[in-house]
Formats: sequence, C-alpha cells, structure tokens
Amino acid sequence: MSTRSRPARLAAVSVLAALLPAATASAQSIDEKASVCAACHGENGVPQPKTPVIAGQQQGYLYLQLRDFKSGARKSDIMGPIAQSLAPDDIAALALYFSQKPWPDLQQPRAPADVAARAQKAIDSIVCTSCHQNNFRGDSTQPRLAGQRQDVLQQSMLDFRNKTRGNNPGMTDLMRAISEQDIADCAAYLAGF
Amino acid sequence: MIATRTVLAIAAALALAATASAQEVKQNPAAPAAASVKPTNVTQEMLEKAASDQNNFLHTNGDYTQKRFSPDRQITTRNVGHLHPAWIFQTDVQESLETSPIIVNGVMYVTTSFSHVYALNAKTGEQLWHYKHPLGPITTYCCGPNNRGVAVYEDKVYLATLDSKLVALDAKTGNKIWQSDIADPVQGYSETMAPTVVKGKVIIGTNGGEYGIRGFVKAFDAKDGKLLWTFNTIPENSVGVWATNDATGRDMHRDIAAEKAQLAKTGDPYRTLGGGVWQNPSVDLATNRLYFVVGNPSPDLDGAQRPGDNLYTDSLVSIDLDTGKYICHFQYIAHDVWDLDAVSPTILVDAKDKNGKVIPAVIHAGKTGHVYVHDRKDCSLIRFSEPMVPQENMWTLPTPQGARMLPGANGGVEWSPMTVNPQLGLTYAINLHQPMTYTVESSAYPNGKLWLGGAFKTIPGEEQAGNITAVDYNTGKIRWQVKTPQPMIGGILATAGGLVFTGEGNGRFRAYDATNGHVLWTFNAGAGVNAPPSSYMVDGKQYIVVGAGGNVQLNYKRGNAIIAFTLD
Repeated sequence: MSTRSRPARLAAVSVLAALLPAATASAQSIDEKASVCAACHGENGVPQPKTPVIAGQQQGYLYLQLRDFKSGARKSDIMGPIAQSLAPDDIAALALYFSQKPWPDLQQPRAPADVAARAQKAIDSIVCTSCHQNNFRGDSTQPRLAGQRQDVLQQSMLDFRNKTRGNNPGMTDLMRAISEQDIADCAAYLAGF
Repeated sequence: MIATRTVLAIAAALALAATASAQEVKQNPAAPAAASVKPTNVTQEMLEKAASDQNNFLHTNGDYTQKRFSPDRQITTRNVGHLHPAWIFQTDVQESLETSPIIVNGVMYVTTSFSHVYALNAKTGEQLWHYKHPLGPITTYCCGPNNRGVAVYEDKVYLATLDSKLVALDAKTGNKIWQSDIADPVQGYSETMAPTVVKGKVIIGTNGGEYGIRGFVKAFDAKDGKLLWTFNTIPENSVGVWATNDATGRDMHRDIAAEKAQLAKTGDPYRTLGGGVWQNPSVDLATNRLYFVVGNPSPDLDGAQRPGDNLYTDSLVSIDLDTGKYICHFQYIAHDVWDLDAVSPTILVDAKDKNGKVIPAVIHAGKTGHVYVHDRKDCSLIRFSEPMVPQENMWTLPTPQGARMLPGANGGVEWSPMTVNPQLGLTYAINLHQPMTYTVESSAYPNGKLWLGGAFKTIPGEEQAGNITAVDYNTGKIRWQVKTPQPMIGGILATAGGLVFTGEGNGRFRAYDATNGHVLWTFNAGAGVNAPPSSYMVDGKQYIVVGAGGNVQLNYKRGNAIIAFTLD
C-alpha cells in the first residue's frame, strides 16, 4: 500500500524512467546517480512531503534500506525499481554519499509540552534510545529520527505497526507495543527535536 | 552465500574508506616524553597473582576468579567518610560508560562508548594517549554503543569493538599492532565486553542474541590475533531433555507436544538461535577451565519457531581453555520466552556443598533475581538464593495482548558483575525491579535485523526500584538488602577495608559497610554511575575509580567523567 499522493507518484515514475537506461551505463558518476534522488529527496536535502530526509542520514541505515528495496524485503512501488537498477557498489557509494551531506533544518516546531510528555513516556516504555541514541540521531544501521519529517516518522511507525513495512520485525514488535496515539505523539516530538 | 559474500566485500571496502579518513590515535603533546609515568609490561604471573596485588587492578573483574575483591585496606569503614575526588578526567564521548578501569603500575586504561580507549596517569588523570577505533559503516547492537573495558598482557592492550573486531594496541603509544575479525556485524554480531587474556590467549564472546546470531566464545593468539579455537554456544543438537521446570523447580508451562511437532517440521533451529556471551569468563587455573554464562535464545519472546531446550542458552557452561572443548553445562531456563537469561559474570568461590563440605564452586546471579551456586566439577546446582527482587506470576507465557510478570526482562541482575568478600562469605549483587508486560508476535528470521518475537514493555504508573543485596552463598540466605530509588545497573566492588562501593542512575556513588549495608559515604557525580568501580594504589596511596556516564538501557543521565577518589 502506498500513501503517496498522485502527483508525487507520477513525478517519481518519470524520474525512474530517466534513471533506468542511465543506470545500465557504468560511466555515470556518483554525483549524477545521486542527482536523480533529488527530485523527491530534495536538491538541498529538503524533501517533498511524505518523503524522508536522506541527506545526513546514517550510512549503514541507508545501505540496508537500499539493499532491502533491491531484494524486495522492503516494498515500495517507487524505490523498488530504482534500487533494482543499482549495482551493489552503487548502493554502498550512495549510502556513503548521502550520509556525508549536512542534515537539513526543516523548521519543524517543537512539540507542545503535553505531547512531548506523552511521547517521552512511550519512548521510555520501549527504550527507543537504546538504538536511536539519546539525541535520536541514530548510529550506523540505526536511523536518525531527530528532525525527520513528521509525516514520514508517523507513516513509518504505522507501516511497521500494521506490517506494511516488513524489513524490520523488531520495529514491528515495538510499534505494536505502543498505541497509534503514542505514535502520533512521538512523530511530533521527534520531528521538532 | 553469494549475497553474503557481496555484502562482506562492500562492508570491507567501506571499512577501508573509513579507516583512511579517521585519526585513530591522539597523543598528548606533553606526554609521553614529559609524562611522569610510562606503561610497563604485564606478565602472566602478574595476572595470576592479581587477587593479592595491592597496586594494580589487572582484570575486568579483579582477578581470574572474578571476585572483584580488592586487597586494598587503606580506605576503611572508619575513614571512608573523608573520601574526596583526587581528579576527574573528561572523555570526548558523552555517552554511557560501562568501563572497568584497568590499572598497571600507575597507568590506567579506560574505554568509552563507540570503542574509544584512553591511557591515563592513574595518579593525576593526565591523558597519555587516546585510541578512537575507526568503526565500519555497519554496526548492529541492541543496548547502547557500550564498551566494558580492555584486557592487558605483556606490552599490549586488547579491545573488542562495536563492529566486532579484536584490536591489539601498543600499551606505550596506543598504536594499533594487529586487528582481527571476530564476526560479521551485518549478521547482527557486535562486541561490548572486555576480552580476557590468559596464557597467551585472548578470550572473547559476542553480542547478538537479539539478532538471530549463533553465539560463540573464541580464543585468539595474543601475539598475532590468529584464531585458535571457537566454541559454539549453540550446539548442532540444541534440543536437550525437554525440561519442564526451571532451575528452581517451577513449571515453565511449555507445550512440549507442539514443540515436538515443530521440530519434526522445521528441524533443529541452531543456526539462528542466539546465545550471546556478554561478559568475561572466570578462569580456574588449577583445572585449566573457563566458566561463563550464555544469554537468551533468538527470537527472545517467540518460542514457537525454536523447539527444544535451546541449548546452551540461559546456561552456565564450562569449557577447556586449551581446546575450547565442552566440559559441562547447567541450564537455568530451558526454552526461555522472557529474556530472563544469564549475563552477569561467573565468580569462582569455595563454598559449602549440600553436605556442608567446602568445595570449589562457581556462582552466578541471574535476571531471575536468584544467586545460583554450582559445583565446579560438573556444573551441577548446589543451591539457589532467596529471590532478591519481587517475583510474580512466574512463569506466565507471553501473549499477543501482553502478560504481566515479574521480574521484568532486565532482571533481577543484568550484565552487572557481582563482587565477593570471601572473608565474610558474602556475594553482593545490584538488582532491578521493573514491572513489565511480555508480548509475543511471530516473525520470520530477518537476516541480521532486530528479532525479538514480541516486546517487553515497562508498565506506566507501576513503581520501579533497585537494591543492593548481600547473599550468603553458603546458605542462599539474604544477609542484608538496601533499597534504591531506581533500578540498579553497572557494577560493584568490595575491598579488604570492609567496604562495598556501587553507583546509581541518579548520580550517587556510595560506600557501604560490607557487614550490614550501612551507608558510610556518598558522592554525587552529576551523571549516572553505572559502571563497575576499581581500586588501586600509587605511591602508597589507595584510590577508588569509577566512570560516570549514565546508561542507555535505563536512560540514565549521560556524562563523560572518570572520577578517582582518595583520602588526604
């Protein structure tokens, strides 16, 4: 199930069409390959709605997601075909490339005190910081959550919860241990963290 | 297989890139020429006599028996009230500290999260060198980027890293001498424990019980890092005897018929059954044996897809030091579905058997909240202590909705080492009390990703607490218990001065009277004191040292201080 809006989907499909023939040619530089990603993930790292920030994201996490999109362990109408067109060393290079970019400031507001308090309680109950770190900036295979788009955070957590996203059953278990309201609170809290 | 090799090749390539760009060793420009202290060699004889070495703290847990009992007696119950900071060293990493400081003739080695090592002047806190391990792009760990310390031998310092490498550093400079792969981090392996060095071998276990690994203990050659042997903590036949009761005789409510049907259908689950080894083994030099405990099966809460007793998870295991061959085991919980496993390091003591005869024994504190006392000869259980924490509804099976049971999944006693005062016949444990619900949710092996098979969740509104408990290991009775406002994690040290030192998540570091638990001294470190203390002497003066960096699992306030205390 995709939650993307129709224009976003169309844009992504046209990007995909542009990428596919080029990807088969090996001479393309990493900058050129990465430029294709900018259509959705943003020229300056500021992505379109419902699209995650990948600039400054953790290298190991980006690597595993592209690997999983390629293998089909993580399903996406848009990212699946794109990842399938990438060679394994392209995946490693793209992960490194984006991890070295600065994380963009999306100017998302801090969560109100009551929302933050509820989110903190949910976070403590399943110890999110155990993997995502105390500052929610992640490490290696654990993604940064702090300052990620609120809609992406919420949808990702819901996708884990309802098993739409199947490439990390541990996250599914944890998201099912908290409520949908907890998830909404956590998304607001982490987006403005 | 092909996919695995590709991933490995990429990981290796990325690791190389990372290595080239990182500055690994930083030396103090004032040191080493001007340094008042220079690292000295550590001999096997020194390591064997560590229990009576007043100047040094040479092993993660004090000596090969792991009693963490310092012979130092300058700081006593009478004067400990005057203890004050001698120096405070701030590391570059403000994240949980679990390090056991190692002290060799005035030089201290400490580690931080993300696999950093510092060499310090133990008298002044002056930095001699700092090694920052260039972590590869893939690290996989469940419970914080922790590191619990180094091992020392001859002219080298040994570190196991978050990306599952074993590294030997030059004790004088911090320069890397060799590095060996322990296991593949892409498959969920990582290292947070300190190595143990004995008779030229570096012994190391592994994390990964939350990721479907196949656990092990490995021995590497201390000289060149060559792998000497591997003991798989999960044998190819992991089924066992279909035990229905735990070590204390309580029914675990297993559905043996369903498990047998599953076994017939899917076979032995040994390849992804977990069984990490989180802490150092104790070493019986007289018999040349190692004793350690093995952690939980994977996935933690879902037993349906791993039929059988899941040997040797949740067990005490003994193996031969020279060969790594199995000698004996004792399983506390067969087919664990609560992650109430065995993590706190084993300790060798002389203890009374069931007939009152003093024999070589080995003890361990479980997440269940019991101290278990075993015969070292065959691993058999002699007795278990009174429970140190509330136990309720044991063993209620996890449900899809979540079932409440105590203790919660952190214990009891977590990875925190106990200490022993052999003169008093007491062992001291720090405990957690965290009411939790246990939820089961089945999922297929996710190829190196987090694989819990459900969730354990603290119950909002239910009070959490901790305690320090002194247990008479000759009777199993609790001698004294002091409650703390927060669950306890970190470690504890007993000294010949009649004291016990341990810290709390709220920043308190305290000295207790070993005989009765009276609080004799308190210092507030400003960040969680969740690391095991060490004791040592320089120029005839005793110091107590501990890390104050907080804790990831319990989210205690982070810090970056190594604090050494002394008397005037």
